[in-house]
Amino acid sequence: MNWKPNPLFIIGLTIATAPIVAQAKIYVSLEQAQKILIPNKSLVKNPIIITEDLQDKMRSASSIRHPFQGERIWRAADGSWFIVDEVVGKHEMITYAVALNPSGAVIGIEILEYVESYGYEVAEANWRKQFVGKTATDPIKLNQDIQNIGGATLSCKHLTDGVKRVAVLYDIALKNQTFSLKAK
Amino acid sequence: MTIKRLVAFSILLATALHFSFANAGEGAFGWIYTLDLQPKGKLEFEQRLQLNKQQAAGTYDAWTARTELEYGLTNDLQIAGYINSYYTSASQNYTNPEACGDSPSCTGGYGVPSSHDPATPYRKSGIEGGSLEAIYRLTNPVTSPVGVGLYLEPTIGRNKNEIEARLLLQSNFIDDRLILAGNVVVANERLKFIENGNVPESMLDFLVGASYRFAPKWSAGVEARFHNDYSELNLRNQVQRATFVGPNMHYAAKDWWVTGAWRYQLKGGTCMGGGEAECSNARVWDSHSVNEFIVKVGFPLN
Repeated sequence: MNWKPNPLFIIGLTIATAPIVAQAKIYVSLEQAQKILIPNKSLVKNPIIITEDLQDKMRSASSIRHPFQGERIWRAADGSWFIVDEVVGKHEMITYAVALNPSGAVIGIEILEYVESYGYEVAEANWRKQFVGKTATDPIKLNQDIQNIGGATLSCKHLTDGVKRVAVLYDIALKNQTFSLKAK
Repeated sequence: MTIKRLVAFSILLATALHFSFANAGEGAFGWIYTLDLQPKGKLEFEQRLQLNKQQAAGTYDAWTARTELEYGLTNDLQIAGYINSYYTSASQNYTNPEACGDSPSCTGGYGVPSSHDPATPYRKSGIEGGSLEAIYRLTNPVTSPVGVGLYLEPTIGRNKNEIEARLLLQSNFIDDRLILAGNVVVANERLKFIENGNVPESMLDFLVGASYRFAPKWSAGVEARFHNDYSELNLRNQVQRATFVGPNMHYAAKDWWVTGAWRYQLKGGTCMGGGEAECSNARVWDSHSVNEFIVKVGFPLN
């Protein structure tokens, strides 16, 4: 090939395409999310090992391929859980927190980090409150029991699937842990 | 030279917008349209620059610049308007005796008027014309196994008038990071730069490709074009068949995105039905070349 592009073109293109450091928008910090979702209770970090079998079960229940990390799990003395997870966004990862009551029902969700072009509506309280009370036995599926937001479909879908896998995590792993702790 | 000014202006504008506006919607492929449309009420500026380079011999550089505004009328209906510009530089780029007669090579190809002396180089640039575009999304690939959309683009230009329709297909996998997409493209054209300025043509293309987001913000993939040209309207009397394939790369941040792609014309292209003069070296020419490059930059405006 013998392409001799205009130097002006190269310089301009370089400037135009130079990556800019996108500032991650933090909606609430981890500590704030903990206080909002599980107020007046002290949380103890309670990481768990995500076995391959557990990962597979969470994947088949939620259809999420991105692996779940088990380090960011906290437990309150009354058996409530606070779990931080991340799902694939349009360009980057969306970090969010889910709180579950001692019986595994969703207390609420908070968006911690969202760096997308649009679709910020997923952080609005009205959309998030659809998850309150959901358990692993609910569909937790976009366009079924969770309504979509036009223009934010991908974020809505991935967050919905994310909450589903957290609910399933409780059902498969955390519930038993709670039980065994109580049984001791 | 006009093309230099055009490129400089496009880059200046793109660079200025780059630092001024926030957010994005985008095309991960070079030539394939996907169903990632502007949400309702969102406006995006997009600049495309394509270079078709190298034909049978000599030099052939055909630049096409398309400056576009896209707007989401609803979440599933996007409209757009384009201003199209061009710069064609051709010299001794054809070798087929049907086109060149007794000379071993001659100047020809898309944009070169039939009145031009084929023994001399040809250079011309300017505003080609304008296009309108509408895309309607019937099903969304994020929520359906197969996303389906309809596309219509009328163009009025100095070199040709065209009406192009596409069927857009897209399936997403692996948390929507892997996109498989295909377009079926049908176009009717009236070429203005040759003979009496009213030469009908039509085209049937199949575009297929894959793009995978291998890291946050970064996607890469391949795309192919199976091209068929016809010397009459409505896909009658086929005169060309060619295949192009090449890689694409896409970077998307919150405030802007850029896509670069290259496609290479494979050997094995054929001409038939009176179109033989457009072929040589097992490739097809006309508006086509050995290498086609495209760069697209997008900046949402609200």
